[in-house]
Amino acid sequence: MEQFKKKFIEEALDLIQDLEKSSLELSLDTSNKAHIEVIFRAMHSLKGGSAMFGFDKIDAFTHQLEAAYDMVRSGKLVVTERLLDITFKSIDHIKVLLEEDDKLSQAAQKNHDFLLSEMSSLIKNDQKGSEKPVAEGVSIAPTADIAGKEKTFYIQFIPKPGIFKNGTNPLLIVNELVGLGKCKVFTFVNDIPELSNLDVFTCYTHWVVLLSTESSLEDIRDVFIFVDLDCELVIKELDFQEITANESLTHKLDESFSNGSKMDLSEIEKMITEVKAEVKTGGEPTVTETVNKNKEQSISSIRVSSEKLDELINLVSELVTRQAGLSLISESINNKDLITIAEDIEKISRRLRDNTFGIRLIPVDNMVTRFQRLVRELSHELNKDIVFQTEGTDTELDKSIIEGLIDPLMHIIRNSIDHGIETTEVRTKQGKSPKGKILLKAFYSGANVYIQVSDDGKGIDTKGVFNHAVKVGLIKEDATMSEKDLLNLIFLPGFTTAATITKVSGRGVGMDVVKRKIADLRGEVSLETKKNAGTTITIKLPLTLSIIDGLLVKINETFYVIPLSSVSKCFEFAHEDLINAVNNLIFVNDGHIPFAYLRKEFNIETQSPAIEQIVVIEYGETHFGLAVDEVIGEYQAVLKTLGKMFSCQDVISGATILGDGAVALVMDPAKIISQFSYHTEEAIV
Amino acid sequence: MSTASNQIQTYLSFKMSEELFAINVSKVINILEIRHITKVPKTPAYMKGVINLRGTVLPVVDLRIKFGLPEKENTVDTSIIVLNIEKDGEMIMLGTLVDAVREVLELKDDEIAASPSIGTKYNSGFIQGMYRMDEHFIMILDIDKIFSVDEVIDVKDFASEGKSA
Repeated sequence: MEQFKKKFIEEALDLIQDLEKSSLELSLDTSNKAHIEVIFRAMHSLKGGSAMFGFDKIDAFTHQLEAAYDMVRSGKLVVTERLLDITFKSIDHIKVLLEEDDKLSQAAQKNHDFLLSEMSSLIKNDQKGSEKPVAEGVSIAPTADIAGKEKTFYIQFIPKPGIFKNGTNPLLIVNELVGLGKCKVFTFVNDIPELSNLDVFTCYTHWVVLLSTESSLEDIRDVFIFVDLDCELVIKELDFQEITANESLTHKLDESFSNGSKMDLSEIEKMITEVKAEVKTGGEPTVTETVNKNKEQSISSIRVSSEKLDELINLVSELVTRQAGLSLISESINNKDLITIAEDIEKISRRLRDNTFGIRLIPVDNMVTRFQRLVRELSHELNKDIVFQTEGTDTELDKSIIEGLIDPLMHIIRNSIDHGIETTEVRTKQGKSPKGKILLKAFYSGANVYIQVSDDGKGIDTKGVFNHAVKVGLIKEDATMSEKDLLNLIFLPGFTTAATITKVSGRGVGMDVVKRKIADLRGEVSLETKKNAGTTITIKLPLTLSIIDGLLVKINETFYVIPLSSVSKCFEFAHEDLINAVNNLIFVNDGHIPFAYLRKEFNIETQSPAIEQIVVIEYGETHFGLAVDEVIGEYQAVLKTLGKMFSCQDVISGATILGDGAVALVMDPAKIISQFSYHTEEAIV
Repeated sequence: MSTASNQIQTYLSFKMSEELFAINVSKVINILEIRHITKVPKTPAYMKGVINLRGTVLPVVDLRIKFGLPEKENTVDTSIIVLNIEKDGEMIMLGTLVDAVREVLELKDDEIAASPSIGTKYNSGFIQGMYRMDEHFIMILDIDKIFSVDEVIDVKDFASEGKSA
């Protein structure tokens, strides 16, 4: 049961995400029926699932929401700002409920009761029609005029043989139909095999229900909402009132189907016409509905555990490594046939690699919803009028990068809302559009993905930055700096421009944290600003974290990979110069820089070569030299983790396997600097 | 696992500096010849490094150092036993260096004597039990417990106690 519960929570979170997204879209276009439909369905699924798995609170809660959206759907309730507010609050609350369920904290319980009472008051209110719609043109088709009249439906329900495997009991569904009105149920059992051949897990039965009811076609379809993929369903309105009450017809039907032969619609229609001829009424059947159209859509994606994906990626990386070996050998043997095969395999494995890594990529779109909510809520709170637009959100990035990006981007957007965009009054005075705009743009360029957040606010006051930097002691009063250098000060620790620390962005974290987090993803941040025109922050990211471009170096017998993004230059030095260096500083082109003698740091005691190399790495504003035996060259490394056993150290962030099968260790430049610069700290200052 | 005392379990025995040890085979994935091990800097001495096991980077530990036993020069007999162990609720694969792999033993549960409860500072829980084979004692290791601690475990006391008993 626990495992089903877990599965439900997973699915529920997906549903909540859909819910959030559709609610946001609905808030922009309150008349869009498609969104209302999605919200309703998501609520309905949540309700059904939570009842099934014992989340009684969620069940009761979503029931209210569903009821509200059902009214919206049927046009009895209009989409108002209040309804949307309650919806968003409820979505948040459902998340809490998922975690806590029965053991609600006091605050959550209070919120629970509050939302419930809000909702029921909303439903009651709107039945009286007292609230006004937010936007004009709410044109939900009124259904009232058809209601109140009984209609008769022909419902053919053929469950797929495997329906039991999902835990569905088709009889319950038939019962639910019976509950909707006057029914005539025909059960078809002719397909049931002999007992010896009977598979108890297979459904052999199907049903035809003739239902006279006041409910609409929609209501009937809702009965099948959980099984619409597991059955063939034909629902048709018959142009015949109260079929079940007409004895001559039911008698006829009984007669012709009691032998269990297949009942098809045309026959029924024929019969109806006959019977109608008898009672002298006429007409044609109307709407036909086959609920099979969603099929392709839902099979187009499947849920795979990330361990399976990692395993696949490992295998593919291994294949690529071995294939490199094959190419080498085939070249040295110089056999034409072998070379052709090796080349083919190279092409195929490259495509396989690209495709496999592609699986881990997810579109940027996945994180947009929360930004939209952030903008919506924060701009309300700060009384600013801001629209949030996105561009290129189908751009794909590695899932782990997306996850790592959320916090920094939240921070950047928060900054834009809080410090960037002016209040409506100020904007109007300056002749700007009263509505502020924040644009999130994602695009590919080369092997990188760029994400830009731009606002059309007041921009960053470079003068203010300068004065502030002087005040907090980052620079001297008489320093002369280019505008670019000045702006880069913002990324330094301990810098925050807000004159007053607000609740919103003054959390003690500044742009330095943003920069560091993005550097952890092997990305870079840059900033452009124009006074009174706005600020643009650009984040440059690698496509994936599993492959890095690195510089392959050797110390003693061991190969190391230094991520190329942090390597700036390489220099050659004689062994003596390094050993005799004062304060661990060496003189290179642009001055003295500190360095670490890695042989010593790694406790390697063998004889060092006479000529050694210094690789200068760059992390943030720091330049730092690493002394190694030999620089081999550039290398594209497939990153592998070292695992738990090596969590005791952090200078090595992973490993990679070289073409000849040897293991090379991947250094973490940031950690190397922070660990090995202790000798030279005084020297830097 | 049944509690019946005559239940037969299979163990792999191996030698480390003149002492015999055994591990339940259900923990053993395979046995490799000694090969070049890439040392990871800034790690304890018993963490020998990593090897490439068919594309996977496999950590290798030296049980001899972990147990406080003297290290020996590698010989043709030196092997790496690849184990599947549970550490902090997660299954991980690791290799362990031993001087020589001996044989596979089928032992009944009642042939295994309880581990000596001697008053050392180390928990005898690392040793599941002892099995007497001719003149020798084989120490049957609880490998998950051994890797649940990061420090070096002193097993010399167990060994001598076992013999004198």
